[in-house]
Amino acid sequence: MRLLIAISSKEYSESTLQIGLRVAKAFNACITITCVGQKPSSFAQNHVRLAQESMERWDFDLPPVTVLEWAFDYLVNYGFISQESCEIGFKKRLLVKRAGERGEINFKGTFCERVDMIVRFGDIITELRDEVQKHDYDVTIIGGSKKRRMAHDLVQFIDSSILVVKQIDFSKPYRILLPVDDSKGTLKAITFGIQIAKAYNLEVDALTVSKRKRFGSGYKGASDRACRYLENANVSYKQHFIVGDPVETIVEMADENHIIIMGVSSKNPLKKFFAGSKPLSVMNTSACPILIVK
Amino acid sequence: MNSLRTVLFWITRIRWLLIAVMTGIILLILPTPDGLSISGHRLLVIVIVTLILVVAEPIPLPATAIFIIVALTYFNIDTPNRVAQAFMNDAVFFIMGSLMLAVAIVKQGWDTRLALGIIKITGNKTRNIAFGFTAISAFLASFIGEHTVAALMLPIGMSLIRYTSKEVEKVRGLSSILLFSIAYGALIGSIGTPSGGGRNAIMMNYLHDSGVDSITYVRWMLYVYPLVLILVPLVSITLWHSFSTRYLFLDSGVRRLKVQVSKQGAVSFRQSSGLVVFVLVFLGWIFLSGRFGLGTIALTGVLLYLVTGLVRWEDINRNTHWGVIILFGATIALGTYMRSTGAALWLAEGLVRMLSSSSGQLTLISDIVIVCITTVMANTLSSSATVAVLGPITLNLGSDLIHQGLITALASAFGFFTAVAAPACAIIYSSGLVNAKDFLKAGWKVGLISIVILIIYANTYWRLWF
Repeated sequence: MRLLIAISSKEYSESTLQIGLRVAKAFNACITITCVGQKPSSFAQNHVRLAQESMERWDFDLPPVTVLEWAFDYLVNYGFISQESCEIGFKKRLLVKRAGERGEINFKGTFCERVDMIVRFGDIITELRDEVQKHDYDVTIIGGSKKRRMAHDLVQFIDSSILVVKQIDFSKPYRILLPVDDSKGTLKAITFGIQIAKAYNLEVDALTVSKRKRFGSGYKGASDRACRYLENANVSYKQHFIVGDPVETIVEMADENHIIIMGVSSKNPLKKFFAGSKPLSVMNTSACPILIVK
Repeated sequence: MNSLRTVLFWITRIRWLLIAVMTGIILLILPTPDGLSISGHRLLVIVIVTLILVVAEPIPLPATAIFIIVALTYFNIDTPNRVAQAFMNDAVFFIMGSLMLAVAIVKQGWDTRLALGIIKITGNKTRNIAFGFTAISAFLASFIGEHTVAALMLPIGMSLIRYTSKEVEKVRGLSSILLFSIAYGALIGSIGTPSGGGRNAIMMNYLHDSGVDSITYVRWMLYVYPLVLILVPLVSITLWHSFSTRYLFLDSGVRRLKVQVSKQGAVSFRQSSGLVVFVLVFLGWIFLSGRFGLGTIALTGVLLYLVTGLVRWEDINRNTHWGVIILFGATIALGTYMRSTGAALWLAEGLVRMLSSSSGQLTLISDIVIVCITTVMANTLSSSATVAVLGPITLNLGSDLIHQGLITALASAFGFFTAVAAPACAIIYSSGLVNAKDFLKAGWKVGLISIVILIIYANTYWRLWF
């Protein structure tokens, strides 16, 4: 399994990094930590590059390099980097050969085979999409953004599953909220949810929401199937059937003590593009972390 | 499904290109307005499409430049040979030369000397250092351009900040004060002489093409430099009051900076040779630019730097954005055709009609309108491109060409409002120590003060001269 953790600054990315490392540890996944720096407008691009060259002479780093150096120290403190790589240290000169280009450093991990750190420059969605397409990641982990457009583009255009980290307090007892319906994406979400629940010994709330008062056989069957999977995996769970608006109900039930795991919407991409989707609406309105499984 | 997603993704990335194309088609279909020639109508459509493409940048800027070239030919604005000729003039040479000079100057490593010089004058009081940064940046930018100054000064400012504290949040206010002093000082100073920025050279060219030969390098300084001297303290005071810092003295920062700089040793022969070449260029601008043009002299300086081995061609080549130079050439060609097709005059007449119906104080009102439109455009476009496109229109707005020309060129330097408004702003933003909101926080105050002072200045001091 390969995880891509996108971080942006020391101040706002600690929880993203922390949750990313926990998932990586649970799955023994290879991790890549990336920081996407802003690309200046074409008019200023060369002037900025010139300034950066003079900053290098004074031993200043580009902001994304500083962020990744902080991430490296963080990983060393949590024992994620092998002794051998720790001794070599963070060779930042390898990371950026020329401003504006993708730079990469590799380390040997302790819980996983390798830990990569990458600097990219440009529009965050375009860069993440390109990274995921070229390097085949299973999950992209990113901090929550207040920009609705960005959330939409993340869900719509990034090919891997997406874990959006919003508020998280690791001292709280979290539960997993698993919205279940008869869509194709639900099965993958259940499988993923079970793995996380088992790794961290979390309880699961399997929630099925119907707009109508009667639950059809499709919904009931899907919920029962999910519970069977959970039971077989020895994960403790509660089954819920609630009538109401699916998005509102999920957000209400998630409150602040759940990690939501949802399958990606099976709607036509064109419909999703214009009308959005349930996972997207939940992501926009809920305050807790949400994993959209693709 | 995947290919549909790819298409949708592509559409989201190029939506502004689609908007530009649709706008162009709609405007072309509309009937040509009264008083405007068919070529003028087509040219205005090209200008509007270009503006959308430059501001939103859905395609690379060089592609926009190529669009201008082919559109001017395909829409029969002129013959291919004449379009090619309109592309290159002394202003483009100047922009090319000043970009190359910037590389040559930054590569000389004068920043350490500069740091020592500033600190010797200002001491360790933060307020004095901030004022020193604004004043020195303004003074230098008058001659070597705002982008060069920002690139030179940024490491000095960052060193002081880092040596004061490594915790970004603690020094947030200090970072804003020092870095904005550099960027805004450089922007203010860049209006001081024709060599302060490409926009000034473009306007000089337009004025000369309009038959105004009385505006020389020294005359420009005489008309504009007092304004720089007025604005520098005002900008510094405004910045000081816009941000607050707990560090009123930078004892440890200054001490450690001195230690760092002292490691560099004495001034090298190479550094003094580099300075001599620049002084020669500066003297050339003052005494010879009337005859040979600003651009030729800037390129002579580049030639001297190259033949003396003070800078390598590889460095110049790597740090010069040729696409931007082509784009400036293309926008200047647009400006030229706006005049020759009568589009500039038609727009100016429309504006004059509108202004004269609203007030009797036409000069004052037209100054306000020019300054506001230019400032808005310069903050979203680029100052040089703004002058290239707006210049021909504003020169038709009144009888006093020098007044109209100078006020446009000066207002185009007021790129205070966003991180992308001017190269100096983009440079300090790239440090990661100031955020986008800070530009608005300080920018609107500095912008408003600059605009008001410029209008008062233009209608008082300039009246003594022309």
